[in-house]
Amino acid sequence: MKQDTAAKTMVIASCLYFGLALTMGLLTALKFIVPTVGEIEYLSMPRVRMLHTNINLFGWLLQADMGILFWILPRILHTRLFSEKLGVVTGILYNLTVIGGFAAIILGHVKNVEYGEIPPPFDYLIAVCWVLFLINVVGTVATRRVKYLYVSVWYALGSVIWTTFVYLTGNMFSQLPMVSGVNEANLIWFYVHNAVGLIFTPLGVAIAYYLIPKQLDTPIYSHKLSMVGFWVISFVYVWTGAHHMLHGPQPYWLQTVAIIFSWSLIIPVMAVITNFFGTFATAPRGLRMKGPIPKLLMMGTVYYIFTCLQGPFQAIREVSEIVSKTDWVVGHAHMALFGAFSYYAMAGVYYVAPKMAGRPLYSEKLGDLQFWIMTLASIPFFAVLWISGVVQGYAWLNPANSFVETLEAIRHAHIMRFSTGGLIFLAYFLFLYNVMQTFFGKYGETAEKETAVAE
Amino acid sequence: MKVNVERSLLWTATGAFVLFAIGAVLTTIVPPLVSKDMQVSQYPLHEYTEQELRGIEIYKREGCVYCHTQQIRHLESDQKRYGWRLVDAAVSDSWEYVNDKDNFLGTKRTGPDLARVGGKYSSEWHWAHFKDPRNMGEKFPNRKGIYERASIMPSFAYLSDEEIKDLTAYIQTLGRNKNWRVDENGVPLNDYEK
Repeated sequence: MKQDTAAKTMVIASCLYFGLALTMGLLTALKFIVPTVGEIEYLSMPRVRMLHTNINLFGWLLQADMGILFWILPRILHTRLFSEKLGVVTGILYNLTVIGGFAAIILGHVKNVEYGEIPPPFDYLIAVCWVLFLINVVGTVATRRVKYLYVSVWYALGSVIWTTFVYLTGNMFSQLPMVSGVNEANLIWFYVHNAVGLIFTPLGVAIAYYLIPKQLDTPIYSHKLSMVGFWVISFVYVWTGAHHMLHGPQPYWLQTVAIIFSWSLIIPVMAVITNFFGTFATAPRGLRMKGPIPKLLMMGTVYYIFTCLQGPFQAIREVSEIVSKTDWVVGHAHMALFGAFSYYAMAGVYYVAPKMAGRPLYSEKLGDLQFWIMTLASIPFFAVLWISGVVQGYAWLNPANSFVETLEAIRHAHIMRFSTGGLIFLAYFLFLYNVMQTFFGKYGETAEKETAVAE
Repeated sequence: MKVNVERSLLWTATGAFVLFAIGAVLTTIVPPLVSKDMQVSQYPLHEYTEQELRGIEIYKREGCVYCHTQQIRHLESDQKRYGWRLVDAAVSDSWEYVNDKDNFLGTKRTGPDLARVGGKYSSEWHWAHFKDPRNMGEKFPNRKGIYERASIMPSFAYLSDEEIKDLTAYIQTLGRNKNWRVDENGVPLNDYEK
């Protein structure tokens, strides 16, 4: 089978899902302003919200990351993908699975697991696809033709191993008949938090660790920092799930453990970020911001710092008292998954698409334009959600404010969220057009196709 | 034997797994063993009826949890806001949730918390409110003027009459594992169920 067929399938499919997910997000935002829009069962606000998160996580981000890694890993390891056929089977089965899962959500067949609403049998099939992906990743590493494993490979390996257990815990173990109440909530929070921390963080960081030095033509700043980042994150991230339930009904000691480990997360994050910025700082000046790829990587890293400093900050009991359960958390989640990791994934798509098509990116200018619209729209997008969270959090402190009154106080934020979200949505089409033109468009230039090893 | 982790697939994978597994075990399997309240209750709990269980399925299917939490946190603001007739709402304890196969503790309050809502409003009020969420009923006769219609809850008019009854039956059970809504003589403060 032709090299990179699996990567191509997954990257193209993921870009289409991205648009669907953003549509759902925009519709949710609209329903916050005009709640009577689309008042039918299949488009009720909670279902659209479930679709928004699930399509983003499984249709777009996870699939894009898998596709990009299918391309990157053979290059790092100087070999071919362990099994291209298995990769294609993974891609096709995965897409059928997520489509089935999304249809089930629309029809109201859901699991009561945030980020894991996709019901059986589709969630089991996602786990099967993940194991197929794991076999391919481990197989490719095992058949490598280089001695040393590069940082991206550590993260990819860590991610495929951790994710298997994280996904099973949240989607299967939490649904066992003897698990209920607060215990179930704890397992689900373990999943929700680590879905971001041990699935999307290592996959995104793996991609960035490959792209930043490659794109800037500069070696990674510090090998020691790479090691600190990886080994510390594999130990500390998993403990923090309970910081989402501060002041709540679960054991106080568990909350304290989660707070302490949330703070220790600053160590690996700072190691990774220093490494990325160090590489940017030592890169040739002309390459640092040339075209959309380094811009997306840089801005993704900036969002990564902010989201990872915000995390420990929110985990302080006194801060949580104000911001927890408000729009603030929504802003935080968007900065992590859209700001940091979708930016890395978009940079990855922009990087691998031309390589797979065997010609340069359709238009760097268009890519730059997309970057600027998305960035200038996403900053106020996140900011209004934080502002609204703080406003509502303080408003709740006074029992004389009726609940609807505190809701009316943040109406401005909901309007801003919709309008800035609309700009992000528009910028997405520039991204899609650019990528699709690169793959299928009619324009002349051809460049050398980068293959891992000779066919 | 000197092991070079960076040259070994086995050591990298094993190391990453072991470091992860320590935290994973200590934060998922161990907590219910140490804090038994998470999984066992030493107090009597409400057993859900068939109808209430159907209501739970509807609550889950319609995704109520995405806007309504079910937890009175250890915060004065929560206790005051979700209290009743100047009686503070009791803090939610782990054991109260033991019978909830699906927990609806929730993460976001776009609408008010429902942990202690059972019995606060009549079932007729809920009926009208599901049909038209902007209808806050006579309980709020223009108390806040323009704010009365500020609710952004979606209408659930598409639910069948039976479904609304089932859902309401479930909602009326919420928060009643603690009998907190009584005056100083232990007389229930609830108008609807006297």
